[in-house]
Amino acid sequence: MSTLVLVRPGCYQDSARLMQVSRELAAVPGVTEAVAMMGTETNRRLLADAGFPKAELAGATPLDMIVALRAQSPEALDTVQAALDGLLAGRGASVASGGVAAGGGRPRTVAEALEAHPDANLVSVAVPGLYAAFVAHRALDAGRSVFLFSDNVSIADEVALKRRASDRGLLVMGPDCGTAILSGVGLGFANRVERGPVGIVGASGTGIQELSCLLDRKGVGISHAIGTGSRDLSEAVDGMMTEAGLALLARDPETRCVLLVAKHPAESVARRLHVVLAKLGKPVTVRYLGEPARGAVDGVVYAGSLDEAAESAAKWVGARPSPEVAASVEPEEGPGPGQSSGQVRLVGLFGGGSLAAEARCVLAASGLETVVPAEKLSGHAPLPPGNLIVDTGDDAYTVGRPHPMVDQTVRCELIRAAGADLSVRVLLLDLVLGDGAHPDPAPELVSCVVAARAARGGRPLAVVVSVCGSRRDPQGTARQEDLLRRAGIHVASSAALAAAEAAALLPRVREEVAR
Amino acid sequence: MSTSTVSTNTLNASTSVLLDGRLEVVHAGIDAVAEAPRSTGATVTLVDFEPPSGGDPRRMTLLSEVLSGPMAPEIDAANARALARLLASRPHLVGIGIARDVIPGMAEDLFLHAGPPVTWERMCGPMRGAVIGGLLHEGRAKSVEEATTLAASGAVRFDPCHHHDAVGPMAGLVTPSMPVFIVEDRGGERAGTRTFCTLNEGLGKVLRYGAFSEEVLARLEFMRDTLAPVLSAALALRGPIDLKHLMAQALQMGDEGHNRNRAGTSLLFRELAPAIVRATEDRERAARVLEFVNGNDHFYLNLSMPMGKCMLKAAEGESLSSLVTVMARNGTDFGIQVASMPGRWFTGPALQVRGLYFPGFTEADANPDIGDSAITETAGFGGFAMGAAPAIVQFVGGSAEDALAATRAMRRITLGANSGFAIPALGFAGTPTGIDLRLVEERNLLPQINTGIAHRDPGVGQVGAGLVNPPWEAFHAALEALAEHVRAAAPPPRA
Repeated sequence: MSTLVLVRPGCYQDSARLMQVSRELAAVPGVTEAVAMMGTETNRRLLADAGFPKAELAGATPLDMIVALRAQSPEALDTVQAALDGLLAGRGASVASGGVAAGGGRPRTVAEALEAHPDANLVSVAVPGLYAAFVAHRALDAGRSVFLFSDNVSIADEVALKRRASDRGLLVMGPDCGTAILSGVGLGFANRVERGPVGIVGASGTGIQELSCLLDRKGVGISHAIGTGSRDLSEAVDGMMTEAGLALLARDPETRCVLLVAKHPAESVARRLHVVLAKLGKPVTVRYLGEPARGAVDGVVYAGSLDEAAESAAKWVGARPSPEVAASVEPEEGPGPGQSSGQVRLVGLFGGGSLAAEARCVLAASGLETVVPAEKLSGHAPLPPGNLIVDTGDDAYTVGRPHPMVDQTVRCELIRAAGADLSVRVLLLDLVLGDGAHPDPAPELVSCVVAARAARGGRPLAVVVSVCGSRRDPQGTARQEDLLRRAGIHVASSAALAAAEAAALLPRVREEVAR
Repeated sequence: MSTSTVSTNTLNASTSVLLDGRLEVVHAGIDAVAEAPRSTGATVTLVDFEPPSGGDPRRMTLLSEVLSGPMAPEIDAANARALARLLASRPHLVGIGIARDVIPGMAEDLFLHAGPPVTWERMCGPMRGAVIGGLLHEGRAKSVEEATTLAASGAVRFDPCHHHDAVGPMAGLVTPSMPVFIVEDRGGERAGTRTFCTLNEGLGKVLRYGAFSEEVLARLEFMRDTLAPVLSAALALRGPIDLKHLMAQALQMGDEGHNRNRAGTSLLFRELAPAIVRATEDRERAARVLEFVNGNDHFYLNLSMPMGKCMLKAAEGESLSSLVTVMARNGTDFGIQVASMPGRWFTGPALQVRGLYFPGFTEADANPDIGDSAITETAGFGGFAMGAAPAIVQFVGGSAEDALAATRAMRRITLGANSGFAIPALGFAGTPTGIDLRLVEERNLLPQINTGIAHRDPGVGQVGAGLVNPPWEAFHAALEALAEHVRAAAPPPRA
């Protein structure tokens, strides 16, 4: 086995690009392992621990790209250099030469981009977390609001950014803000929904997506959806941007009613926000994920699910109420031989964290206790016991790889692992469509499910998928749903309905097994 | 716990625009994330993001503090004041004097040199050569051996030119009996400020490159006994020369004021020739002076340098300012100074020049970067005005477009442009002026310096010319000090 470490000085690449380089170099014949990383201290340590020579890593800086390779023979490594040159062709890399760049081409900093485009009114930031606060501050320096997609920003940095934004009357949407829709323009992961009278403020990206798609299915449009970042309603951040977003919607003439969605608000923040919501001057419905319905309090409706929240908003704006969707379906699969009822269980594998939370809540309401595994699951180890709910969009699963909404590799491995476990009878999944998401996810998901079922020796596996998509999404929501149905997968229009359906399926299976 | 909230009437105008359907987005980071706004109708400008300050987390925190922290608006205001004073200064050549008589703090046992402070032990070859030549020229030693022993003995003190409002090219040696140009600020708040520089010896074997042969010493004597008195008398007759005015013209004639000074020298010649003739009784003496000036394309360099120093002195001492006021090298170390911390050096190793060599010489012969002449870039010309000097573009890659790109690149790290120094090929844009230490760090872009290359051994002279950057260490150290300076100046936090 031969190793090779290449250091390309002054060649900064974003994480998406690094993954692409790693993947393509690993595909070079004879190469057994290829890792492309920026030369940060952490990365250098990681590579040294992985057995790459320390001396060759020592000089690299965070601006230098390191490519570490293992191959069966030294000859295989010879072709890698050329392959790397080909991959990097056309990418400017003149940091170290420090001079004759600039003039034409892309701006190199946010400050310069804003100087060149004085009419720009929003800065979108998707740089590694380590650099995100710096960049967001530079946007605030220039008096611009920020959509901060990056995660791994410290809570102290978040508070400082939002406090500064508040003082200047600007918005900082994020960090870890997956979704926003401003005047029909989507940011991050967003569905192409019609414009209309409902305004959304959300500390949950998939929560916003699910709400906007549910309303879309009812023919109700969105004025704006303002993401605030998953920690905005924590005690430290104190709902600063939620409040700013609500203030914007309160005076926006297009917005006739307001939806607020968040995961686990701090009690003190929820209490404070309640006062703000009650005085907003527009009808308000709130969905705090994981919490039960509380009805109307001082005119503010606290809904028990996203579906209920969407329905309530639709009612506010006078849309025709949707007929209740039956939650129970007939199981198509018979029992497997030799199974005892105690071993029959459900596994939920989600891409959207809020959808996972919503599903858990609905399952609990149907009397089905679920566990969120404390340890990261692996496709190569047995699954832990119990009914499992897993958020594969969690940090533990996304280190060094794209979000499961974009890249289903990790989730597919877990689907296969669940298939191989004969006690798993019901698989609960979500599929999030829209801009930013995988361009055509259903075929891949279907082939995972087919493979999972094939490994069960004829024992059935019920699969329920909630599809979060709008009528105009680029993937074609109807087509995606059709592909799933044709593979014998149950399709539901929301995570709550899918969970209810799965919950109804499981006891049936249990009964059959018991018989 | 935060108490700040946003009420509807404090929202910024740009924020309400977000909801008015005119979304224009600047995006930094993973390109795919910009797909949503682009495909749903927003204008998107992509930033080619690079981690600031080399991606060092600790430095990035300091940098964020001075760019975006509570004191940042005051730093910006201080920089604006410093830059305004720099631009308002009007350096004039007012006369020629003898170093010991006119340079503040000059003494009989004091030799001035280029760059930050350096001891004899750490001096590079060419600077040692210049010191030896200086001792011979001053009559303090009769032989090279004697001069070497004397220099090592501590019998003469060494001090940077910059500590005495002077600048010197290459070794930059100033000894007590040397004649110096006197440049005086005739405009702005700091009128009356004086700066100094020796007279340029020409190319080839010269003291500033560490040569000390008979020929070198004879030229120094000629300069002291003939050139200086004749020019001095001519200047007295003609009156002060507005150097900025002259520089502005030279920039439009293909000079950049550091590595090309042919136009500046010619213009100076035109300004002085009639007065030289009138002020000198001995026609042969006048002719020799005119021939000397005419024969040395770099004669004007020793005026563009003290002019730059004079401009930067106007910016010095502005509390909180991050404007770089000095970049100087002694052949061993490269040092910079910042307006808010006058007199404090931030140093790193002097680097090798990337350049073109005279026939017979290679990189192996080159001494690391040396001289105070980087004051020209610091003041906003030299390498920063490369776009004005297409004749010497081989230093930046060979094409006139490269020269323009070099000047545009420097605009990325400067606070403003000097409209007095217009570059025709850039639509008469002013030269990038006032290096902001913060921008250098944020943009990972070092100032570009045009420079000559000295042979590493004493006595050989110039072997080439090219481009060089300051070492990052100097800027990193200055950033740390600036952050500390700003913290000390900040009002105490509210309890």
